[in-house]
Amino acid sequence: MIQTLRRNVSAYNALVTLVPKLYLVYQSVFWIQFLLQFVSMIVLVYFWRAVYLGQATLGGLNLRQTLNYMLLVQWILPLLDNGLILHFGDWLREGKLAIELLRPLDFQSQNFVREQTDMFFFLLQKLPLLIVAWLVFGLQLPADPMRWVAFVVSMLLGKAILFFFQWIFACLAFYTTDVSGFYHALNAAAVFLSGALVPMAMMPGWLQRVAYSFPFAQAVSVPVSLLSGIIPLTDLPRIWLIQVVWLIGLAGVSRLVFRIAIRKVTFQGG
Amino acid sequence: MPIIQVENISKVFRISQKDPGLGGAIKALFRPRYQDKVAVDGINFTVEPGEVVGYIGVNGAGKSTTIKMLTGILVPSGGQIRVLGRDPHRQRVANARDIGVVFGQRSQLWWDLALIESLNLIAKIYDVEPARYKQLLDQFTETLELKELLSVPIRNMSLGQKMRAELVATLIHEPKIVYLDEPTIGLDLIVKERIREFIKQQNRESGTTVILTTHDLGDIEELCPRVMIIDAGKLIYDGPLGTIKDRFGKFREITFDTAGSLDPFEPPTGTQVVTQEPRKLVLRFDRTVTTASQLASTVMSRVEVADFSLAEPDLSSIVKQIYGGALQKEVSQ
Repeated sequence: MIQTLRRNVSAYNALVTLVPKLYLVYQSVFWIQFLLQFVSMIVLVYFWRAVYLGQATLGGLNLRQTLNYMLLVQWILPLLDNGLILHFGDWLREGKLAIELLRPLDFQSQNFVREQTDMFFFLLQKLPLLIVAWLVFGLQLPADPMRWVAFVVSMLLGKAILFFFQWIFACLAFYTTDVSGFYHALNAAAVFLSGALVPMAMMPGWLQRVAYSFPFAQAVSVPVSLLSGIIPLTDLPRIWLIQVVWLIGLAGVSRLVFRIAIRKVTFQGG
Repeated sequence: MPIIQVENISKVFRISQKDPGLGGAIKALFRPRYQDKVAVDGINFTVEPGEVVGYIGVNGAGKSTTIKMLTGILVPSGGQIRVLGRDPHRQRVANARDIGVVFGQRSQLWWDLALIESLNLIAKIYDVEPARYKQLLDQFTETLELKELLSVPIRNMSLGQKMRAELVATLIHEPKIVYLDEPTIGLDLIVKERIREFIKQQNRESGTTVILTTHDLGDIEELCPRVMIIDAGKLIYDGPLGTIKDRFGKFREITFDTAGSLDPFEPPTGTQVVTQEPRKLVLRFDRTVTTASQLASTVMSRVEVADFSLAEPDLSSIVKQIYGGALQKEVSQ
């Protein structure tokens, strides 16, 4: 038991170190992404300033609160990345799934570790943007360490929730082979229903209810609202309970779906 | 006790049927049609530890599907497989630890990483003890002449270099069973030879069991005392390579270099003229009807022979006969 645990920790640790190595192979991509994100941040700030012209508040939020929220959303936007679905499609079409399944690790766990590491790498990569936002655009970050703890835990739970949700759709690749349609549909839904496009508070009540019936908000709106102070810390136990329920439910369903779907797999190309 | 036991396994794939053209594609969108394709049909065999088994058949015969079921990544539609006492699909992770697989057309190495980075990662995933890893790495890279390539990314390697790197990656955790699915496809003769030697060495020194699928009969002749032949999903032969050579290698070729030219030659019964030139005569004969010495004395009585040579049955022609239904014909007779 202890030997298995030690062996798994060592193997997953090796997978964690793989992620930055692969990303840093093409260094120009790193710098181009940084530049694009910087430009989109400038556009975002001027867009919201234009929206607020002549208005003190929107959906109960003033310009400073909205900018704070939107700048933080820019930082954690990689949490919405649906790359897993595209990976499944590519692996199936190119027959690489055979190689992935032959590694002596639980298939879902190795993907989970890789996706979480991806997220950390992206957040780290975008950290300079956060500093720019703080220095240039007046981003206000909380001094209360409890807010940071609430944010980090909620973000980790949110990313895990989205992973299991995306996993269910990724498994559809075993039936359809091409999953690009699901990928684009989920991306559109994720950006809108997570609160990444506009803060949830600006949505009408019925739309907020619809948005919260999907898991996307758990990864973006919830952690960012905690960090930016839109959600009071007194709500924390309720927020975490909701996230844990999402997590357990989707984790269970995703494993079940995989167990059924894997029986349908056909490896392309012999 | 067998290391691999396969009992009556089958695999049926459901394949979407579409009429050609845009109309067909649109029709299939609203009224999809499917057809069942039996890729593997009730196969039985066992493999003992340390065996090297050649698994051959034409394209689409079911070789790779069988291998994928043995590795646990494909679920059989029926029957039972035990590999090292385990169900390879249900216990996929445990099974993966004890096996190594090379798919000739796919890589398990990371395209953008240097070979040594990929190997280090694989050693960690398989929990290879560091001192043992270093020892094996030195030994393998020496034998396969890969030392100079350790710092080269996989994407910059030639096909032959990649395949040698794949073999190192597959064997670095000392698997008990290795499945090699067309490992020499597209490689030149020198690389093929090196790879065959390496496989032989691993089998001899570590007792690794090897299941090899290939279209290259040189691989089979060099490596596999036992051959299994699959055709349309059914196992049509399982036995020693020598037996099949004896059963179907009844045609031999004898070549005469003659001192003078030979008049039009009427071959004896059971013999065909393959080539007749002014100073050369090649005959193909059925050794169950006539013998090489009878044929030689017949030719020598007609013309002065400077030299002659006898060619052993060629495996490729034997396999062609078998693929052409020779085994089935033999059974029906």
